[in-house]
Amino acid sequence: MKPLIQFKNIVKEFDGQLVLKGINLDIYENEFVTLLGPSGCGKTTLLRILGGFLEQTEGQILFDGEDISKVEAYNRDLNTVFQKYALFPHMNVFDNVAFGLKIKKMSKDIIEQKVNRMLKLVNLEEYADRGVNELSGGQQQRVAIARALVNEPKVLLLDEPLGALDLKLRKEMQKELKKIQQEVGITFIFVTHDQEEALTMSDKIVVMKAGEIQQVGTPEDIYNEPVNEYVANFIGESNIIEGIMKKDYEVVFEDKKFECVDFGFKPDERVDVVIRPEDLEIVPRSQGKLKGVVKSVQFKGVHYEIIVETRPGTSITVMMKVSDDRPVINEAAREKMSANDFYLDVEDVKELDDAEIVARADAQAWSMDDDELISISKVEYDIKPEKGTYPVTFSTSAGTSFTVNMIVKDQNRVESKEYGEEIFAENFFKKVDEIHESVALDTDLKIWANAQAWDLDEDIPVEITTVDYDFDPENITPGTYPVTFKTTGYEYKVDTTDYAEVDSVVGLTFEPEDIHIMSKETF
Amino acid sequence: MKQFAKMAIPYAIWAAVMIAIPMLMILLYAITESGNGVVTLKFTLDNFIYFLTDPALLRVLMTSFKIAIYTTILCILIGYPAAYFMSKLNEKYRTTVLLLITLPTWINMLVRTYAWMGMLQVDGLFAQILGMLGIGDVQLIGTEGAVIFVMVYNFLPFMILQIYTSLSKMDKSYLEAASDLGANKVQSFWRVTFPLSLPGVISGITLVFLPAASTFQISQLIGQGSVPMIGNLIESFFLKTGDWNKGSAISLIMAVIIMFSMYLAKKVDKDPSTRGRI
Repeated sequence: MKPLIQFKNIVKEFDGQLVLKGINLDIYENEFVTLLGPSGCGKTTLLRILGGFLEQTEGQILFDGEDISKVEAYNRDLNTVFQKYALFPHMNVFDNVAFGLKIKKMSKDIIEQKVNRMLKLVNLEEYADRGVNELSGGQQQRVAIARALVNEPKVLLLDEPLGALDLKLRKEMQKELKKIQQEVGITFIFVTHDQEEALTMSDKIVVMKAGEIQQVGTPEDIYNEPVNEYVANFIGESNIIEGIMKKDYEVVFEDKKFECVDFGFKPDERVDVVIRPEDLEIVPRSQGKLKGVVKSVQFKGVHYEIIVETRPGTSITVMMKVSDDRPVINEAAREKMSANDFYLDVEDVKELDDAEIVARADAQAWSMDDDELISISKVEYDIKPEKGTYPVTFSTSAGTSFTVNMIVKDQNRVESKEYGEEIFAENFFKKVDEIHESVALDTDLKIWANAQAWDLDEDIPVEITTVDYDFDPENITPGTYPVTFKTTGYEYKVDTTDYAEVDSVVGLTFEPEDIHIMSKETF
Repeated sequence: MKQFAKMAIPYAIWAAVMIAIPMLMILLYAITESGNGVVTLKFTLDNFIYFLTDPALLRVLMTSFKIAIYTTILCILIGYPAAYFMSKLNEKYRTTVLLLITLPTWINMLVRTYAWMGMLQVDGLFAQILGMLGIGDVQLIGTEGAVIFVMVYNFLPFMILQIYTSLSKMDKSYLEAASDLGANKVQSFWRVTFPLSLPGVISGITLVFLPAASTFQISQLIGQGSVPMIGNLIESFFLKTGDWNKGSAISLIMAVIIMFSMYLAKKVDKDPSTRGRI
């Protein structure tokens, strides 16, 4: 079959920025094609180039085999349904739909016949005399479709036309659009960022990212066999696990061998393994291919979304020493002052300055009369970049002073080879009051302990998702308390109608054909 | 809400004292005989009849409206293309052009009119230029043409700004839609841009027609008394002959005609069935 539209190496540049990086795409007759991608991926730009509202920087568009790059928008044999419909506000529904036919100078009775037939197709016959601003969003949408279709184009372009509608109406319009497309039998090119919309309506989906096409295929292809992690994540939620392809039909992940239906990879190739949440089943732990702890259960209407952690994340435990030290009181100057001892590692010593010391020690001085903070005018210390304890004295200009210890020691860190990440945190000192006053204790604990996690491969921060402690912040007493910081481990999202208790140990099972293997993204 | 309502009281008092009461006074003057005492009011319609039966006075009324209509039409004909090209201009130049157009209005209109008076004088700048071109002695000052010319000069910025505003806030997607439906640039303009800019044109007309119909400075200075307009008539009744009753009656007639024409304009603007149907 000969393609109706051919994009040949379309490049678009806006102010030196590449929005489209060489798009090659064939579109056939009677196809419902969806351009899918997040905002800024270039899908609307591509559509506008096809519509003739933008000119490509490079490349060719062939329409029926002819180059239409230089053809003006009003001479192209296609029509557009615009994002916000762009219905002419000074015309009623009939005149809006008749616009294109009047431009073509058709005779009155033919125009009337065609417009009425089109209004019937979109179920708006009763509304011909209404002003367009009196219509609901869904009705305006249908007028826009009728206005475009009445011209009998070979291709209808739709630029996120359902974006402004509420969920229920969207669903209805999705069905209706598909029905209209089948009835009129022309090519629809539909732009959306909604993967579900794309899956329900399209014959062919084009997944785009940052000006490039990632994958072209039927909804089933794209859903079941995404070519890379990006597509898998964009099309529905997925569990993506790192694995190694041992040989054809055999993949290893989570240190276990699994049978699968994929082949054609290099031996021992590193791959991403995709398992859709609905393909996983929760079974008693003894029957599971994988074992894990239920982290959370969310009811989603028909099913539960259950998160099962098969392996905990990297964690580190530090000691929090809580005291009920009182601030020093300088009765003569009517000032109070407080500060904490603090730990730091050898590396930190080099970058230490007064402001950093004040912050780490949480040194504060304030007036006894009105509680106003008073600035600390002097920070005296003598420190060497080696292990030991060094006193530091803070004082105000009125002579109030407080001395605490800076304890220099080796960095306290935990590295996880499996995850390729490391986490560090320091022991710290706090006062009872400060813990009472904290409004976001988890975050404050992270700051106080200077807790951070890093991805060793990519050198980017990793989020610390769990802060565990075993004390009651409201009624804490002086003493030493362990605090544990943890990153996310291996988690599987499971969509199931079965219920599972949080914190219970369960097994996970799946069929070989539910495992989808993708090559590692090579960007 | 109540507290805010109270804040409107000073304005209400102001409006009553400065607007409503003078209007009522004019109405009262218009329907009473001259020489009334405070206690003895004699009502009459003679003031209106006097005006409506005097052909000379009616002619002045006609002249006023004729000049105002010409002025308005010329303002549209010059102002619309100007506003259109401004709205198409690059953002950078727009502000500059906008400034150039509003700049003259920063100077008092009377001062500008005096300047024109000087230039249109018998031996003024224009007469000299025309003389040099060999066209010879053309009477400029004191003609209807000169009055209309200076009026257009004075009121044009209001027309341009109104139309420009409605053109520049128009959604560009309407033009894309028209182009998508097969309309070329000319067709897009007449079927989409122009009808959608009509509200701007209507408010431009309001801003030009009203002052043009009731001005007395321009017709006095540029018309030199030979182009009498209704404003001059009212002025002379109040200030020269001291006949406040007749002056009030003419003001009222004028006000009624203007209100009626504004009503028509608004009707054309609002009624969706007549709004630029194609």
